[in-house]
Amino acid sequence: MGPLVVNEIISENTNLLLAFFIGIAFGFVLEQGGFSSSRKLAGVFYGYDAVVLKVFFTGAITAMLGLLFLSLFGWIDLGLVYVNETFIWSAIIGGVIMGAGFIMGGYCPGTSFCGAAIGKIDAMIFIVGLFLGVFIFAEGYPLWEGLYKAGFMGSPRISEFFNISEGLFALFVVIAAVLMFWGAEWAEKKFPREEY
Amino acid sequence: MSEIKKSKYMNPYIAGVLLGLVVIAANFISGRSVGASGAIKSAIVASVETVAPAHAENALFYKEFTQGHSGNPLNSWLVYQMLGVLVGGFLSGVVSKRLTWKVEHSPKIQSRTRLIFALAGGVLFGIGSQFGRGCTSGSALSGMAVLSLGGFISMMAIFGTAFALAYAFRKLWI
Amino acid sequence: MNMKQITLSPRMTLTAVLLLLAVIIAAVPKNTTTPYKLSATQILDELKSGTQYLEPEQIAQMLVEKDPYLQLIDIRSLNEFEKFSLQGAVNIPLDNLLSPDFVETFDQDTKINVFYGNGTTQANEAWMLLRQLGYKNIYVLRGGLNYWAEAILNPTAPPSTSPNDDLARYDFRRGAGQALGGGEMSSTASKPAAGAKAKVPGPAPAGKKKKVAGGCS
Repeated sequence: MGPLVVNEIISENTNLLLAFFIGIAFGFVLEQGGFSSSRKLAGVFYGYDAVVLKVFFTGAITAMLGLLFLSLFGWIDLGLVYVNETFIWSAIIGGVIMGAGFIMGGYCPGTSFCGAAIGKIDAMIFIVGLFLGVFIFAEGYPLWEGLYKAGFMGSPRISEFFNISEGLFALFVVIAAVLMFWGAEWAEKKFPREEY
Repeated sequence: MSEIKKSKYMNPYIAGVLLGLVVIAANFISGRSVGASGAIKSAIVASVETVAPAHAENALFYKEFTQGHSGNPLNSWLVYQMLGVLVGGFLSGVVSKRLTWKVEHSPKIQSRTRLIFALAGGVLFGIGSQFGRGCTSGSALSGMAVLSLGGFISMMAIFGTAFALAYAFRKLWI
Repeated sequence: MNMKQITLSPRMTLTAVLLLLAVIIAAVPKNTTTPYKLSATQILDELKSGTQYLEPEQIAQMLVEKDPYLQLIDIRSLNEFEKFSLQGAVNIPLDNLLSPDFVETFDQDTKINVFYGNGTTQANEAWMLLRQLGYKNIYVLRGGLNYWAEAILNPTAPPSTSPNDDLARYDFRRGAGQALGGGEMSSTASKPAAGAKAKVPGPAPAGKKKKVAGGCS
């Protein structure tokens, strides 16, 4: 049955329209969760507010389990769902640069749009920075094309990488997340937080 | 006191479950998931194609983009989705009465400092998202949902680095 | 905070629910049935509506145009295939249909595979089998070679009082037949009459399996 667009149950244009509605839901949930506030986002790195960790990991494991169950019932063909390609070096270097950007800027791209939507000026400046950053990458592309394409591993699923079943891996992730939530609650009580 | 603070935003676990449902819906409908940086990339390519078409034809980055995509770069799934994010965020701000012009920062620094770092952080995130082939949403969140190896690597690299550098930038936030 | 609040907190509920679901998903074996396989009812529906058939005119048109998307598959025995076959056809006898050698022929998304035999029985059998396995871009030549010979290679002229459509179809068939090496030869053979341009399905509506777009690139 799913994914609907790949199985041609809905057309390409409907898909684009639905993308808009998915975006609305995405933006609404992010804002409601508090992702429009940079101090709330950065809080996770100082222990005073772990909202990022809670929302992000709850979202990730809910989606992970949900997709596995849909697949179990035969409602979605996970073989047709997009799995990100893995270029190992590029992924690590990109992640490190993004981590630095995160702690300096206080936003990530998705959340900055959310912040900008409710009038956060720092979020708008962050978005300007995003455009500049992508432009810099584009213009300097020949310089780092080699690095960008190094270490291609295809589109492996992490469960294949560790050679265990998808369900078992999901269980480990859920256990890890539950432990993290527990730690986060503890940290929030330990580190003071103020109104912002 | 703490009760009032907590009621300001939705309970993070409930918000997380809803976020997960959005990702499931995106995968079920479109076979893909949410992302933000791809929309910015499309916008950059579209701008360069308009402003400097000759450059867009010659420079490697734009050439590779055009090979992989057909039609107007702005007519893409991620662009519509990001427009939706703006609308959704705004609606949520209206519902919860959070619409204000504001620069958020630690009381220890000035707005100007915050904005400079916001710009720098944006530039870094922009560059990093290209190397990582997606940002926290497109690579880490979406990738983890489909158990992609790359998604987990991105997630660990982003949060690991941010934690490692947190002490150096503590003045910005606490 | 009292104890009651803690036990009912969303975190506790969520933890319990997610852990339970995760244990279930870890315990059950992965669903390995490919969901795109068709049920018997779906196949019966398709059979009833006859969507698997392509008309000889359509095929003739594609052959004349040397349509690169057309892949004719002769499911008769090698012996019969060597005696007579349609232009560009490959021979996959029904007995060997499921041989791994031919998986690539069926599991691709550019060409449309058209089965034919002497009649339609064998071709339909092949079609049903592959359809059940989930292959999409497969069709059956209506009437098989017998009807092909009758319709394309040696068409009988309709009475001159026939509707224009019939006359146009006859013209087309005669032209195509000549182009494809039947009937009488003439110098204008390579030009089929334009009157009866058959609607040829492109490869896209033949239901191709797309590679998913996605990610942030």
